[in-house]
Parts: sequence; structure tokens; C-alpha cells
Amino acid sequence: MAEFFQALLQHSFLQHALLAGLLASFSCGIVGTYVVTRRITYLAGGIAHCVLGGMGMARYMQVVHGWAFFDPLLGAILAALTAAFIIGWVNIQAKERIDTVISAFWGMGMATGILFISKTPGYGEDMMAYLFGNILLVTPHDLTIIAGLDLFIIVIALLFHKQLVAVCYDEEFARLRGIKAPLFYFLLLALTALTVVLLVSIVGIVMVIVLLTLPAAIAGRFCQRMGPMMALAAGLCALLTTSGLALSYKPDLPAGATIIMLVGVVYLITATVKKC
Amino acid sequence: MNAPLPIQIENLDFSYGQIPVLKQANLSLFDKDFVCIVGPNGGGKTTLLKLLLGLLTPQSGSVSVFGEEPVVGRKWIGYLPQYASLDARFPVTALDVVLMGRLGKTRGIGPYRKNDRAAARNMLERVGMIQLEKRPLATLSGGQRQRVLIARALVSSPKLLLLDEPTSSLDDYVERELYDLLQELNKEMTVVVVTHDISFVSSYVEKVICVNRQVHVHPTSEVDENIIHTMYGEHVHMVRHDQEQQHG
Repeated sequence: MAEFFQALLQHSFLQHALLAGLLASFSCGIVGTYVVTRRITYLAGGIAHCVLGGMGMARYMQVVHGWAFFDPLLGAILAALTAAFIIGWVNIQAKERIDTVISAFWGMGMATGILFISKTPGYGEDMMAYLFGNILLVTPHDLTIIAGLDLFIIVIALLFHKQLVAVCYDEEFARLRGIKAPLFYFLLLALTALTVVLLVSIVGIVMVIVLLTLPAAIAGRFCQRMGPMMALAAGLCALLTTSGLALSYKPDLPAGATIIMLVGVVYLITATVKKC
Repeated sequence: MNAPLPIQIENLDFSYGQIPVLKQANLSLFDKDFVCIVGPNGGGKTTLLKLLLGLLTPQSGSVSVFGEEPVVGRKWIGYLPQYASLDARFPVTALDVVLMGRLGKTRGIGPYRKNDRAAARNMLERVGMIQLEKRPLATLSGGQRQRVLIARALVSSPKLLLLDEPTSSLDDYVERELYDLLQELNKEMTVVVVTHDISFVSSYVEKVICVNRQVHVHPTSEVDENIIHTMYGEHVHMVRHDQEQQHG
């Protein structure tokens, strides 16, 4: 641990990593709480896996066609929002078997990414970073995007918290009271998509759903209101990503996987302790 | 002056695809009516409610709520959904739930205002739940939760209260208390209760609306075994009510 903090002072890549984790924690706590209480974890998982399609395509365009501006993070945002919109629209139209539809997008999103990456010259190390995260590769440019997204999510949640809570608890009733419930449902999915993108840069696509939902799930065992649950979830996310990063440093473990193991263990402990 | 009726349905047909649910339904409810809607599962009760709330549109015929299309008129409806449709462990307090009933009336952006809170507290007082306003939903009993949800329905100052199986999860004593509350509220507004439990409700309501593909209205005094058997079939037993159970 001590070595981690010493290294932290010396290496800017570690500072960037730490900052990325701390910034993403705000969104993680807020949006994770909506996702857990609205029970759309699987839907969020579907969105997350579609992100690979966007990242793969962006990388391909950068390398093969020289579209320098088309950052994989930008591709991720586009793919996540598109997936959120399509899956949400299907969910509103067809009331049944939404899980099958999500699975279809889940797989197709990943396949798109794999196809693009296979046609991109290089050694495929990009794919590993997208799938399993590489928080140590966070650039100052990424940090700016992360901070921007973070701010956007926090502001939206502050402004429309009461509608979002109402739609999570009882969408039909919200509609009867004159709230544009589908609009807020889509807003919720869009916030979920953006948060997924933030967290993907830390733990990667495959494990992102754990970091999005488990801090909120742990907080839900101790909090009886949305606000405190969000605050505790954000705090847990910050604490666990920082600890995971620190733990992984000396033994040179992958930071993403270490963070996920830590979150999972804390979740399982609180789940069993509370039941006893 | 001729005020528009709370509910007026004329020659309504509704079907889900090929399956007809309601055929040539007619129904008029008057101001301050206290009625219950009964009928077998799949008979069209929920469909009728959704038509009244503007969540479904009829294939033919008309529905009006206080003289307006349901999507407009529903702002005067206070609605209590079925118990099982809501997450009982959702992380909100009693007051938070009631505040949701202010959504159409409060500002669009930012948190609820002081007057929203005052209105919500007022309604919690009304349903006898004010001392539990800060309690998390998960810690309330079934009857307490229903009272909170009734307060949520009332806080938008409705002229018609529509309750979907409000007592299906409650024991008899709590059920009676809840109907006493509804009877009290009926002095100010029309009350419509969807229920399975016609035997109990018949001592409170004036009319029974039977929904089974068709819609028939009966004064409570007419509801006898013949009607029950037509509605539900031969295997239903009816509990008789003695005169002393009549309220009011």
C-alpha cells in the first residue's frame, strides 16, 4: 500500500487512474441506484456489451481511414446511446420477452466490435483493454470527457430526480399525473448508457455491470431512501475502486479485475451478514 | 346546471387482437356514487379501468371522464393500483410516496416545494398516517401501505377515486377500517372499487357493476345468488349479510 502512495506522487498515469475512478463514482452511485431499484440490470448489461461495437468501429475508422477525431470513447458513447434507445423502444413496444431482445443486441453489439477489431491492423491489444479495462491507460483527454459526462449526469439527476424516482417506483401512476413517463424512461436509459461508458474505461465491458449495480445493491441494504442510497453507493464505488487500484499495484495485477473482486467480496459479505 | 358525469361509457367495444374483452358496454356513474366493480378474472375489469384511465383506447364507442377524453379527464382521478404491482421494498418513505401524487401540480424542474410537502402531510393526516410520515415503505404493514397509497391518490385533489383491489392483501379487520375511510371520503367524491370480495363490500356500496364481457349495473339490494351465479358460475358460495351489518 505504502508503495502505491509513493508511486502515486511520482507517476501521472496513476494519478489519472485514481481521478478517473473517483470521478466515475458520482455517476456510478446515482445511476446505479436508479438501475437497481428500477430492476433494469440486464438491460444495462445489454447496453454495456453494445459498447464494444462502437469502440471497435471507432478504432477501425481511426487506424484504417485516418479519422483521428473518432476516439474509441466517442464511439462508445454513440453505441451506448443508440443501444439504449433501441432497447428502450423495443421494451415499450413489445411487452413480452424483452430479455430475448436484449440478448440479441448484447451478442450483436459484441460481434460488431470483434469484426471491426479483426480488420484493424495491430495486435488486438485494444480489444483486451476494451473488454477488461485498463485504467492505467486513461489519458488527460479521456479525463476531460469523463468529467464532462459526469457533470452532465449529476446535473440531470439533480434537476429531474423526482420524476426519475416516480418512474422507477410506479411508471403508470407517473403517467396518470401528467408526467411524460416514456421520455423519463429514455432519459434514465441514456444516463445508464453514459455511466456504463464512464465505468468501461475503468473495469472494461465484461465486468462493468458489477461496478454499476453492486455498490448500489450494498447501499440498499443500509439505506431506506434514494438520496442516502446514492451517496453511500458513490462513496463505496470511490473507496472500492481506489482500494482495488492500490491493491493491484505492487503484485502487478490487472486493476479492473482486482476492483471487481473487491466489490464482489464486499457485496457477498454484506448479503450474508445481513441475513444472519 | 348540468355537470358532466364522472364516468360515461357508451356502446364501447374493446378487444386485444382477435379476442373481444368488452362488448357493447354502457355505464353511467353519478357524482358521489360509491360503487364496486366485480367480475371473474379475465372478465374485463382491468381493461375497463385502463380505458377509464386513458391507458387503452376503445375500438368503438366512447368513454368520457367528467365530460372529457380519459387522457384529459384522468387528472381528476385519484388512482390506487393493484397491491402486487408495486415494489414493497422500494427505498422511499411514506411522505416520499405521497409526494409523487403532486407531480402534475408541482414545478417541472428541481425538488418538491414546501407547499407540496404541506399538501402531502395534510393527506397523511387525513388517512391517519401522519405519525409514520418518515417511516420507510418497507417497514409499513399492508394496511398502512394502502393508506399511504390512498393519500398519494388524494393529494392531487381528485373528484373520483379509483381503487384496484385495495383490500386483496389485508385481513378482515383492516379491510373494514379501510372501507370506513372510503365511506368518509365518499362524502366529497365518487368512489369506485374493483374487488373480488363482493360479500364484504355490499354493505358499503350502493351499486354493483358486474363486468364479464358485458357491463351490468345492479343496485346492491338486487345482488343475490342468481346474479352471482350468472357472473361466476355455479360453484361460488355467497355469504349473506344481516341487516345490522349495514353501515351509516
